[in-house]
Amino acid sequence: MIGAFKWWRGLLLAFALLGLVGVVLPLPFANEVVIFSIYAMGCNFLLGRVGFISFGQPAYLAAGAYGTAFYLFYFGSNPYVGILVGIAAGIAVACAVGPLFVRLRSDYFALVNLALAVIIYYLMQKVLAGVTHGDNGLWFLTQIDATPVLDLTRPDHFFVFALLAAFAIWAFYKYLDDSLFGACCLAAKVNEDKLRFLGYSNFKIRLLAFVIANTTTALAGALYAVYLGFVGPEMTSPARAADPVIVVILGGVGTLYGPIVGAIAYTGMKDLISKAIGNWELLIGVLVVAIMLAGERGIVGSLASLWKLAAPGRRAAAREGSVMR
Amino acid sequence: MIDPHLLASGVIFGLSMGSIFFLMTVGLSLCFGMMRVISLDQLLYYALGGYLAYSISQATGSLWLGALGAMAVGGLAGFAVERLIFQRIYERDITFSMITSFGILIAGVGLIKLVWGLVPRPVPVPITAQITILGAEVPVYRIVVVAIAALVYVAIWLFLHRTVIGKAIRAGIESVEHVEGLGINVYRLFSLTFIIAGALSGLAGALHAPLIMVDPQMGLEVLAFAFMVVIIGGLGSLKGTLVSSLLVGQVVSIGSLIYAPLAQMAPFAVMLLILLVRPTGLFGSPLLKR
Repeated sequence: MIGAFKWWRGLLLAFALLGLVGVVLPLPFANEVVIFSIYAMGCNFLLGRVGFISFGQPAYLAAGAYGTAFYLFYFGSNPYVGILVGIAAGIAVACAVGPLFVRLRSDYFALVNLALAVIIYYLMQKVLAGVTHGDNGLWFLTQIDATPVLDLTRPDHFFVFALLAAFAIWAFYKYLDDSLFGACCLAAKVNEDKLRFLGYSNFKIRLLAFVIANTTTALAGALYAVYLGFVGPEMTSPARAADPVIVVILGGVGTLYGPIVGAIAYTGMKDLISKAIGNWELLIGVLVVAIMLAGERGIVGSLASLWKLAAPGRRAAAREGSVMR
Repeated sequence: MIDPHLLASGVIFGLSMGSIFFLMTVGLSLCFGMMRVISLDQLLYYALGGYLAYSISQATGSLWLGALGAMAVGGLAGFAVERLIFQRIYERDITFSMITSFGILIAGVGLIKLVWGLVPRPVPVPITAQITILGAEVPVYRIVVVAIAALVYVAIWLFLHRTVIGKAIRAGIESVEHVEGLGINVYRLFSLTFIIAGALSGLAGALHAPLIMVDPQMGLEVLAFAFMVVIIGGLGSLKGTLVSSLLVGQVVSIGSLIYAPLAQMAPFAVMLLILLVRPTGLFGSPLLKR
């Protein structure tokens, strides 16, 4: 019982905070943060657990978003079914490219994924312009049906739904971390030869991890589509390719709370900076370089070491926390 | 099925595209071969080169002066970035350099927006003459671009094979430890490689500027093509970079003749096919990060 409480404690705390964000800050911002943290979670799993850096996350985001958009624009009007269709599209894309991609060396993996994102951008902008309406995008906000219990067309209900979804995914990733599969992923990152000697297949583990992570990303895309009621090719443009990676690094790679903290910090900064000077690239770029040079620990990592310094009496607790993650 | 005149001009168009791709990616490839870093900031020097060509040709009326300026500034910027940033991260994992250099690229895009503004700017073509090759009207400027790229290739080849420093760089691509063991200061070689890479990227931007409009996102727009070129050719191989940039140039050009949207899609399909057969590209070595 106590063990279970410890397991959930951190998560509940994090989500209580995130829920508070929704109450205190304006709703559009809170929604953006929650969706972005789901987006970053997939990337965080890939980067922190499997050791794959992917600059192509927008490709899977777009797969989810366009899957949902096609359903809601052409076929149906139930947002929940739309989200499921988006997730299915994400799984399909990940399964199609995964077997080829996960065989690659990490540097090629990063490059190939970005190329995929750009190709999907052109695909949606030009090649399939008849279906996707090119740069104008698909607008279907008015076609979404109001649903009972949680009405996704209302931003406040949407926030609750997105928060629940984020919570479920968080718990799932935490469960994965404790499972044998999570250990295998980590082992594949650290030393794939030894993992092979133990009788595990690197390829299968990586493929499964790849599909799981990109399904999460597709879910974020589907949520974006339902929330905004609009999907355009802009979301996969190369300029945005590094967004999730930056958020993950900003928050702290491989940490459990990293994606939330990173998403809040990144979205907040982008909002503030683009309002103030309209030139956020310069600052984000400098920030990324600074964080990388400072040692990749991100906000959560730096705060954790500060916390340990500031409260020596709680060192044992902090150590226990680091074992937990 | 395609008009032969159109095909001839398509091939020459593709050659000039390939030449620009070559100049743009040779730096990326050299940096990977030598230092095992992915230096996306090369695309920033490319964009900077384009803007310098714009500013200098506005001021003096000569694109060639602009190209020289772009090379100088690209080399200097490469040197500064290498000394200030890359020297601290050589020891880290390769993806580390990728994220860091992407940060530099994004910051540079912001800087360009700050200095030159958001509006795309046209750069006048220095040679407006046309000549007829195989019955197709071809702008002379494109031929000049191809010639410059060929010259650069020959010069790099001679430098790498006929000079002591070049030989040290080639040896460094094989094994840095052994070069260090011979008493050669490899960090100087690293800086030199970065200067060469930055200067060539700047040159690529300056030569490309009259063919497109310079805009702040131009470095990001060619990012995918640069990636595809180095992946197809294999990271770290000079010959591979040349072959694959010419290949991608032709695929883009001929592809767009057959069906316009193919221009962007076809190189990607080619890349996937090649990766299926050879996961490290055509001429890439299977060696991992040291």
